Amino acid sequence: MPDTLTRERRSELLAAATHEEIVPLAERLLADGAVPEPTVVKAPETGMVMLQVREPVEEIRFYLGEVLVTECSVDLDGTPGWCMRSGDDRVAALAGALLDAAAAAELPATAEIDALCAAVAERLARADAAEWAEVTATTVKFEELT
Amino acid sequence: MSTMNAPAASVTSASAPSVPAAPRPDQLTERLGLGIDRVMAESGLWAPQLAARAFGQARGDVTRATQLLRTHRTSLPRLGRSLPVRAGELRVVRRISSAFRNPPGGQVLGRTLDYVGRLLDLLPEEEGRQRAVLASESAHEHHDHHGHEHPGHEHPQHGHEDEVERAPGHVLSVFREMDIVAPPGDHDDPEPYDITRHPARPGVPRSALLQTMARADTGALLYLWYGSEWKPGGQEAHEVPGELRHGFLPIRVEHPHTGRPVTVGDVRVSEVVSFHSLTRASELPRHLDVGYGMCFGHNERKAISMAGADILLGHYEGTERAAGLQHDVLLTLDGLDITGYTEHQKLPHHAEYRSVLERATAAAAHQAGPHRTGPHPGDTA
Repeated sequence: MPDTLTRERRSELLAAATHEEIVPLAERLLADGAVPEPTVVKAPETGMVMLQVREPVEEIRFYLGEVLVTECSVDLDGTPGWCMRSGDDRVAALAGALLDAAAAAELPATAEIDALCAAVAERLARADAAEWAEVTATTVKFEELT
Repeated sequence: MSTMNAPAASVTSASAPSVPAAPRPDQLTERLGLGIDRVMAESGLWAPQLAARAFGQARGDVTRATQLLRTHRTSLPRLGRSLPVRAGELRVVRRISSAFRNPPGGQVLGRTLDYVGRLLDLLPEEEGRQRAVLASESAHEHHDHHGHEHPGHEHPQHGHEDEVERAPGHVLSVFREMDIVAPPGDHDDPEPYDITRHPARPGVPRSALLQTMARADTGALLYLWYGSEWKPGGQEAHEVPGELRHGFLPIRVEHPHTGRPVTVGDVRVSEVVSFHSLTRASELPRHLDVGYGMCFGHNERKAISMAGADILLGHYEGTERAAGLQHDVLLTLDGLDITGYTEHQKLPHHAEYRSVLERATAAAAHQAGPHRTGPHPGDTA
């Protein structure tokens, strides 16, 4: 898993991680000294991202609406880390940026971070499969009366 | 107030039942999710937890909750915009087509109120819950049994085209392959208009109209479409919502350090593509007219109304009716704008009302004739 995880994929999984998944790991790595104290470049900020959709009729782009997100940037001895995630959890965004930087800096803690990402990916896949099983159970076919 | 009332009041307050605890936002989301979806769509902000909080604070008033969320929105910075996401990427949890019996990608009902009883359920809640659990268990047993004993017999017409897809192609593309819907017009991918940053007035591009309708008040949009006297072809020839979807769209932004796309979350949306047998003036008669609707959350009524209104807008584009229709879409659909006026009406208007009364009295006196124009008996004082 660690070999195949791109930086973007790791960011996606850290963004999808719950507070309980991501914050304890970040706190422990900091407490153990496995990850040095980061410089907070951009403190966690809750704001909005405007969602651009391309519709299929004229294939033009339009703004569907805004989405609440929280963004944070840190620097770990010269390696930048970044996190943007849905919602307004500032602590989780800070933890995400820290773990992103630690993995980008290829610190030994990367193995643990990627293990967390793998667990998140597995949880998401399970939830997706369960959702799809429920959805496909409602598939219908209409017969024509002859 | 006399002092005698004081003891009575204190007795009353002591014996009064305590105020019931407010439901938690997650309880509201579970029970009243469709209402919360409306709040997000009409606010133009996807924020499920904040919307649930607003809905509770507004005691279930969608419009007031929308106002709370919109006002909160003004305190938030815009951190950027997403990369464009194609509507076809929608990961469906429901997808039906009323145009095709068995469309490619399947008819998937998902969670819907369409086929449940439309009678008030008077069962005590606990009993209803138990029955639902039993029914669900028995359905699973039946399903397992059926699957084991008669493998492959569930769907007689098993075939590739019958497979259900997670992100099925649009029915629109089938119509395009049949050459009965015009291909997208030539354009150089214009920047979307943003009605939250620029005034929306007739003459704005289609992107502004779609954005306005996506955050319109559901009832107002429904009326604009359903009540329109301008329906092409009269009431008999109506459009068909050829495809309806409910599902998730990813929010992708550019990674600040690599420049490549990264998904930071997702939103749930409803989408409708409607077809009408009338053509736009500028197009060949073989083409069907197409309308598009999409909004945040699960709100099929709104998406259908939007797609119908989009057909109207497209149909009358370039005609003398266009400005009037665009005016109605842009200036009469926003829930806060239109209900702001009813709020205004409730404010004290005493001076204005007194002036109205005086004018009415004067007019009545004038109408009664010159013999009544003298001073009124009571005016001498």
